[in-house]
Amino acid sequence: MFAIEYFEVECPEPVGAAYYNQITNDVLLDHNLLKVIHKLHVFVDPRVPFFIAIGILNKITAKVRIGDFANVNPQEGKMTLVIANETYLAPMLKILWEKYGKDRVEQPDRFTVILYDVKADPKEIEEIIVADPSESLGKDLIYAFRLVAPEGFRVRRENHENGKFTFIASEDTISEDMDEIVRARFVLMGETP
Amino acid sequence: MTLVPVTYKGGVHQHDAIIDLIEDLGGYIVQKHMIAQEVVLQCFVPKDDIELIARISKPLFGEVTESPLVGTEIAVVSMSLEIHHLPHPSCDFAEYARRIGAKTNMVSPARGPGKRISTINDEERDVINEHDIAVYAFGNFESCIEHKWPVMRRGIEVPIVVMGGPSEETLRRIIDPPADGYVGGVGRFMRRTKEGEEIAKLDEIVAEVTRVLEKKREEIAKDPLSVSPALLMEVIREQVPAIHQVTSPTPLTVQMAGLRVKLPYDTFAKPLRKIELEDGILLRDLAEVLPSRMRDYIIVRILPFSESNTVI
Repeated sequence: MFAIEYFEVECPEPVGAAYYNQITNDVLLDHNLLKVIHKLHVFVDPRVPFFIAIGILNKITAKVRIGDFANVNPQEGKMTLVIANETYLAPMLKILWEKYGKDRVEQPDRFTVILYDVKADPKEIEEIIVADPSESLGKDLIYAFRLVAPEGFRVRRENHENGKFTFIASEDTISEDMDEIVRARFVLMGETP
Repeated sequence: MTLVPVTYKGGVHQHDAIIDLIEDLGGYIVQKHMIAQEVVLQCFVPKDDIELIARISKPLFGEVTESPLVGTEIAVVSMSLEIHHLPHPSCDFAEYARRIGAKTNMVSPARGPGKRISTINDEERDVINEHDIAVYAFGNFESCIEHKWPVMRRGIEVPIVVMGGPSEETLRRIIDPPADGYVGGVGRFMRRTKEGEEIAKLDEIVAEVTRVLEKKREEIAKDPLSVSPALLMEVIREQVPAIHQVTSPTPLTVQMAGLRVKLPYDTFAKPLRKIELEDGILLRDLAEVLPSRMRDYIIVRILPFSESNTVI
């Protein structure tokens, strides 16, 4: 697995561990999450039963700005934005409408947006932030781990902050000693919990 | 005359001749698929005449292969219909078995997943019991399989083939009371089975299912059925015109010892019982017509010779 520095599946049943290694790999690959995870430790014990996934995320500082996917060409009385990638078109239009008003923002076709009478520096427009991928990252991670975890484990507790995440799932009430197990696994990865 | 299940694959051109030939030889067409320029016939033909059919269909580029799963209805019991278990591996196997002639249905208990919390209710149990065989698709952990097996098999009377993540030896050790067949190394996974090794695994499941069904066939042969399910299908097709209006892919599903008729029970049970099979012998003399728990279908269970004292 590329980009992941540490990846370990711990399980008292070696066959089960091999399967969960494969499942985790497949799911993260399908959801395009391999490149955001730096370290990952999965611990499944079907005898208790519980499923724990803890990990450290790569730092994602890159916020998506207009300049990342569009060219801003100033012309007389108007400014033409040539869009290279449509992914962030909708949030960008929303922001431009709010900022300059719908009557001054026109979109003649899929890849062009024209701003009329906008007294702004092209640099300034290029710097407008339209999306922050790290906002939805937590949700995506939890969704992915819901698929990795055994389906019957419906009692869940998730946490995602400061670039670390924990996902605990079980069939029964999650016991208090789970925190101790999580802490020990973080230490195993060489991180402070 | 022993009828054996075979699949015929060939072009559309002159396939009517093959259908006529099979019917003239005393065989039955169970299912006919027309896929673009290709025709696939799943049928029962007399054992001695396979050679003849192969010879006659050769100029038409037809191919006759034995497929022991034709005329069987298999329940693939997936622990849930969530993305955790579908489409891989449950659908992969169901689809693979369909290709070689079986009729597979996916059955999933509402509360199947989990270890302590998994259960099966009476409706699910009855639906599974309407099939010829059940293939249980379990997960990866032996402690879970060991724990949930006694619950999941409760009340199931048809043979069960268990597939699960642990090896076959482990499955044999942990499964108590024993199942009829075991296939190890097929647990929960989330990728398509398309590589050689994975396809070989599907073949292994098919082989195990075939073995168990063969055993059941031998069991049935000891006390033969009063009428062959394929013959009964033919008669119903002729005498109940409403069956031609049913849009389901198999309006009449042939089983090893019965038939699923996809018509409403309330309306059609009575006329079905009164169908005359042969000089004065009615269907109700040789078979039970029961309401199926699958929708409002009818299930026809053919009585063995020992109960009806008649054989057609």
